[in-house]
Amino acid sequence: MADNKLELMQIVGVNNLFDDPATLDIFSKDYSFVPSRRPRMVVRPSDAAQVQSIIKWANQTATTLIPVSSGPPHFRGDTVPTVGGAVIVDLSRMKGLLSIDRRNRIAIIEPGLTYGELQAELAKEGLRLSTPLLPRRSKSVLSSLLEREPMITPKYQWSLMEPLRCLGLVWGDGSKMSTGEAGEYSSDNIKEQQKKHRSFVVGMGPNNVDYYRLVSAAQGTMGIITWASVKCELLPSIRKLFFVPSNDLQTLIDCAHKILKVRFGDELFILNGANLASVLSSSSDQFKSLQRQLPPWVLLIGIAGRDYLPHERVAFQEKDIYELVNRSGLEMTSTVHSAESNEVLEKLYNPSRETYWKLRYKGGCQDIFFITNLNKTPEFVATMHSTAEAFKYPEKDIGVYIQPLHQGVCCHCEFNLPYDPDSSEELTRAQALFAKASENISFGGGFFSRPYGIWADMVYNRDAATTIMLRKVKGLFDPNDVMNSGKLCF
Amino acid sequence: MALGDYRPTMRGCTRCSYCKFITLAHIKSSRFASGCPSIAYKSFQTYSAGGRLSAALSLLEGRTNYTHKFKEIVYQCQLCGLCDVACKLCRYDMDVLDTFRELRFKMVEDGQTLPQHASLIKKLHEIDCMSTQPLVDQGMWAQELEVTDLSEKPGSVLFHAGCESRSDNRMKKVARSAVTVLKNAGVDIGIMGKAEHCCGAKAYDMGYKSDFDRCAQNNLQAWTKAGVRTVVTSCSNCYFAFKRLYPKYAESNIEVLHTIEFIYRLLEEGKIRFSRDLPLTVTYHDPCHLGRMGEPYLPWDGVVSKVFGQIPKHVPSKPRYNGAWGVYEPPREILRSIPGLRLIEMERTKENAWCCGAGGGVNEAYPEFSLWTASERIEEAKSTKATALVSACLQCERNFMDAIRSNGDTMKVYDIVELVQLAS
Amino acid sequence: MPLPSEIYAVLEDIVGREYISAEPSILDSYAWMRANELRTKDRSGFFIRPEAVVLPGSSEEVQAIIRTCNRFKIKCKAFSTGWIVPAQPSVSGVISMDLRRLNRILEIDEKNMFAVIEPYVIGAQLQAEVMKLGLNCHIIGAGGGCSPLAAATSFIGNGADGIFMGYSSETLLAFEWVLPNGDILRTGSLGAGFGWSCGEGPGPSLRGIARGIMGASGAIGVFTKCAVKLAPWPGPAEINVEGTVPAYRTKLPDNFRAYTIAMPSWKAYADVCYKIYDAEIGYIIHRQFSMLGEDLSTAFFTLYMDPTKSLDDLEEFTQDPKIQRLADELRHYSFQIILAGMTLRDIDYQEKVLDQILGEVGGHRVADMSDPEKAQFVFLYLLKLHCKNLNHVYAGGKAQYFRPDGSPDYSVEYAPFMIELLRKHQQKGLLVKTGGDSLMSTISAIGGGGDFHLEQFVSYNLNDMESIEAARELAEEARKIAAEKMPGSSAALAGLTQDAMLAAIAASAQPIRYHWQWKIRQMLDPNGVGESAGYPTLKELPKL
Repeated sequence: MADNKLELMQIVGVNNLFDDPATLDIFSKDYSFVPSRRPRMVVRPSDAAQVQSIIKWANQTATTLIPVSSGPPHFRGDTVPTVGGAVIVDLSRMKGLLSIDRRNRIAIIEPGLTYGELQAELAKEGLRLSTPLLPRRSKSVLSSLLEREPMITPKYQWSLMEPLRCLGLVWGDGSKMSTGEAGEYSSDNIKEQQKKHRSFVVGMGPNNVDYYRLVSAAQGTMGIITWASVKCELLPSIRKLFFVPSNDLQTLIDCAHKILKVRFGDELFILNGANLASVLSSSSDQFKSLQRQLPPWVLLIGIAGRDYLPHERVAFQEKDIYELVNRSGLEMTSTVHSAESNEVLEKLYNPSRETYWKLRYKGGCQDIFFITNLNKTPEFVATMHSTAEAFKYPEKDIGVYIQPLHQGVCCHCEFNLPYDPDSSEELTRAQALFAKASENISFGGGFFSRPYGIWADMVYNRDAATTIMLRKVKGLFDPNDVMNSGKLCF
Repeated sequence: MALGDYRPTMRGCTRCSYCKFITLAHIKSSRFASGCPSIAYKSFQTYSAGGRLSAALSLLEGRTNYTHKFKEIVYQCQLCGLCDVACKLCRYDMDVLDTFRELRFKMVEDGQTLPQHASLIKKLHEIDCMSTQPLVDQGMWAQELEVTDLSEKPGSVLFHAGCESRSDNRMKKVARSAVTVLKNAGVDIGIMGKAEHCCGAKAYDMGYKSDFDRCAQNNLQAWTKAGVRTVVTSCSNCYFAFKRLYPKYAESNIEVLHTIEFIYRLLEEGKIRFSRDLPLTVTYHDPCHLGRMGEPYLPWDGVVSKVFGQIPKHVPSKPRYNGAWGVYEPPREILRSIPGLRLIEMERTKENAWCCGAGGGVNEAYPEFSLWTASERIEEAKSTKATALVSACLQCERNFMDAIRSNGDTMKVYDIVELVQLAS
Repeated sequence: MPLPSEIYAVLEDIVGREYISAEPSILDSYAWMRANELRTKDRSGFFIRPEAVVLPGSSEEVQAIIRTCNRFKIKCKAFSTGWIVPAQPSVSGVISMDLRRLNRILEIDEKNMFAVIEPYVIGAQLQAEVMKLGLNCHIIGAGGGCSPLAAATSFIGNGADGIFMGYSSETLLAFEWVLPNGDILRTGSLGAGFGWSCGEGPGPSLRGIARGIMGASGAIGVFTKCAVKLAPWPGPAEINVEGTVPAYRTKLPDNFRAYTIAMPSWKAYADVCYKIYDAEIGYIIHRQFSMLGEDLSTAFFTLYMDPTKSLDDLEEFTQDPKIQRLADELRHYSFQIILAGMTLRDIDYQEKVLDQILGEVGGHRVADMSDPEKAQFVFLYLLKLHCKNLNHVYAGGKAQYFRPDGSPDYSVEYAPFMIELLRKHQQKGLLVKTGGDSLMSTISAIGGGGDFHLEQFVSYNLNDMESIEAARELAEEARKIAAEKMPGSSAALAGLTQDAMLAAIAASAQPIRYHWQWKIRQMLDPNGVGESAGYPTLKELPKL
């Protein structure tokens, strides 16, 4: 064992290998309910060459590696070892912003870069990146995109992989590769390729395989990504946010369908009152107060103007969307009770302030999320509520976030279950509710496209053909099963 | 011409599949997108025009021989001409329909015929008629109409009844209506009666070119002898023969009109007026031989050279026969001017009309395929919610009636001239 | 070599007697394909005859056929509309599986904007049905006569509407896949019985091994159903086509515009592409009509819009001063743009933005092309892509070479060189003298903009052996140059023999991608029943 540690030290440097209990404890658990398991070591490589060496080492020593790009707190259980003797590959040192290409609107990033860091640099070039809903401050952009986290701007989602494009990666077998159009030319020297007008825009391929899809939502089980190109949007010069409140979710869904069908607006998603209160509040008391005041459901829609006639764009879309909203018998406003659109917009354009917004109410939170269709979300809300009732969990505390995806073809439906982690009663209840509600949602047709923790069994047990094939694919790219062994169906 | 002369067309197929569908811009539904009955019914590529071209080339190049299946591939096609229209949408160097005709001529020459066709040709030789129905006493169809027999007394306007009218009791009423309407409009119309010769169109379609030539000669001689200057017919098949085929093979100054064209002219001149309401909702079927194949023959005797390196140029410009100038509007104008009548169009109209199923010798040799094709059209007609299907071709109408009876449908079938008579 | 009767009998048991054939004339219709004369020794359009042709009527029959092929170790190649060489077997001993009978639209979900289709639904059919619901579907550049399923699962996927509707792969949702070993895999949400609308997951997305930027052209199984994403359509529920064949056109609704715009240089051309991407305008944007040549295209399309004219009038039209002026205005730096406003305010906005962009690059709207009949013709043409066989209009033969594919800046750099190359070869008189610029392109192949390629159309006389040889000569020169300037690209590999191809891909940037493809193919198809030259593989990595 000592030899193995020495080999790793030689790869990353003595100051970048950690096996002290305090550090190991951080990675041994997270906010999810997966069993806690301590890793053996944590290493922090600085570049792709070190990553490759680590993976080769892992193959030689039959050691499980768990790539981690984001800082704590973690919530999904994917970074907690499932097997013993695992080594955490902490990619936070690799936080380079390798290139910003304004003309092609492409940024090339390393795994450790967070949203806040990236957006600040992109803004200098008049760009920004679509984001998930209030990502935590320590959230790695690359990890968010790889895990197919939903973006709040569905109109830019040309596929569920957006805005992720090309990748540089090292597979579980230790071989290096570039994917997308970068796979067709030598991508080791990005600047050199950019001089030849290579733009790293197309993420598909190269040739007949979409490699980036094989590492998406993979929880690090296929390989480690060392850089990625991402497609940016123009930074708006004018931004407006509107609220469409409703007592009834179905009416709001119908309204959302209308807006999606014309592809107007930018940000577009639905929150229930509890979640909007969570977003707005900075304390538990403030949350409770807002929770009482806010309407049951709110659709949030942003309209942006960019380089070309920005005022006109915002003006006409505001009018047209207003008319569409009216047709659903609803009203579009700039405030909803105490919530002002500028305030909310400011939040949406930045990562979550500390404390992470989902934890402000009670200190802990479990998320259940899955893919369905917009028109089916009311059924799932009813399922969630009835299951919560069975566990005497207060319905009013359940946060709901509905995010249209892929320009409206499907949607991400998320339930947030706050609980006090210091209360064993609440903890136990949350755990049981989480499991039961997940089961009921799965039976009801909710698709765990990103199968963390217990969802993996639920979805893979229903789909034998996919499970068999995934294992075969894993066997190709990670034949010795060194990458986050035990996750998904592996 | 010989089959080898059509080698450029055979080689020119790019396998775009346009020949399988109506012109793509006109597709209004998935259900009624097909244009070619042959491949819709049989499915192998070879039953499409493109596939049939490659089969023809395969024969020409000795890659295949005549087989039972080969004959089926060639003859299970109504020669409706939709493939020709669809192909010529983009191509000026392709003569798809003419290639298939030439192939049939060759097959007949080589003795590769179908017994059902051969027996009809025998009937042609024996009684100068190509209907599958037993022949009604020729000329009797016009009983009591008091029309001049031009075989005995000359006259300038001839009504050619056609084999269907002379044989099928259901169809003779169309001929009677036509004659009545024209007479009432003051036209001095005559018929050939017992001396009427078959137009030869079916023989031509089946590949019996010499028999067609004989029919053409017979008719032209008889007409000339009778002093005929205008030939009118209600059978679109005959119309096609007279208008498009006869001038190709023999010079003639005789004007050829479909009854529809004549009625349209008379309406414009005010010689036909509608005095009765006809509260019907109808849909109109464009007969292949009146519609896309209803373009007049334009003689061409020119040369071909190349311009811009490789583009063929005909001097003078060669006529295209791409369905652009078929008889589409006159029947519609007639229907629209009948009081009380409502015309609803099907999805596949004019140059894109789905075939009735009867042509090309298919009705005789492959009755199930023929009826299936007609049934498809009837389904399309029913989808318009019309209660009647109207056309301007005896062959089409007969096949529709047969299919309706066979399927137990209730849709009525009329010839336009019958409606004109009812409304007059 | 005829198919052994035992195998024929087994296949006949599966599909029924009427849906299998080994009749030579039928097999020859499957051996026929456009552009075959460029690769056959005798310049024939017939390439390799399949052993037999089967027409399955269901996914189950497809599965049974594939299992039979595994049992008897015989190759099988499926295709649907199949208007390209990779649709055909490239070796002998292959059974052709014609998917013509799988031609249903299974579902259209209006609210969630997707449709579920079988392989032989053509784009024009799907489009007609979804337009009734205020939706539209992506039509690939080869036109509405092609299969959206085939484009999405098995081939490329560029189309004139790509900027708004996405690349075919971007429209692909869940699908049903009969694997080369005969198992059936249903991807995404479909596999677990959760419907068609999510194509990714669970976890790593297995559709990643089904296709990349290119599909496998039938090499790795048969796709029997798929869901495709639809796009908004703010136009009429039914397109009313006017005009006499072939000059079809349709009136532009008030919220649509059909323009041709022209720029002063290639730099400005690239600039305008980027600005359009940034401005997020445009519904269909394509450099379409230039495919018929800078010297002939304007004349041709003018005569095409007149049903009384034919190709015989082309020479006269090229001599018309008005047409010559228009041709000069359109030369090189022009393309067509259809704007579709979701509302009247939207179209107003888009039009203003377009004018602003044109002002910035020194471009303009070509006034002559805004003539109502021309605009109506352009609109219908690009909306339906219903006459793409015009690619072959001049003398039957059409090929395309040297296809730079990348950002606008990347691709336009090659334009002058491509023009010069074609012009040089045309001067010999053996090709159609369309003018060196016969470049066609989609302004963006992928949704939202970013990927732009140029495709050089080469017209030759496919009934003239010398003309065919001239086209081949150009192809070979283009391939050599591509090997030098764009190593590893499809342009660099076109027309190579198997051994030469292996050497080229081994020498390309990142040959490991071909090695992965070899491994994937071995995994999926252990008995080697799949066949395709469109799925290059490398068994051994070159030694460093």
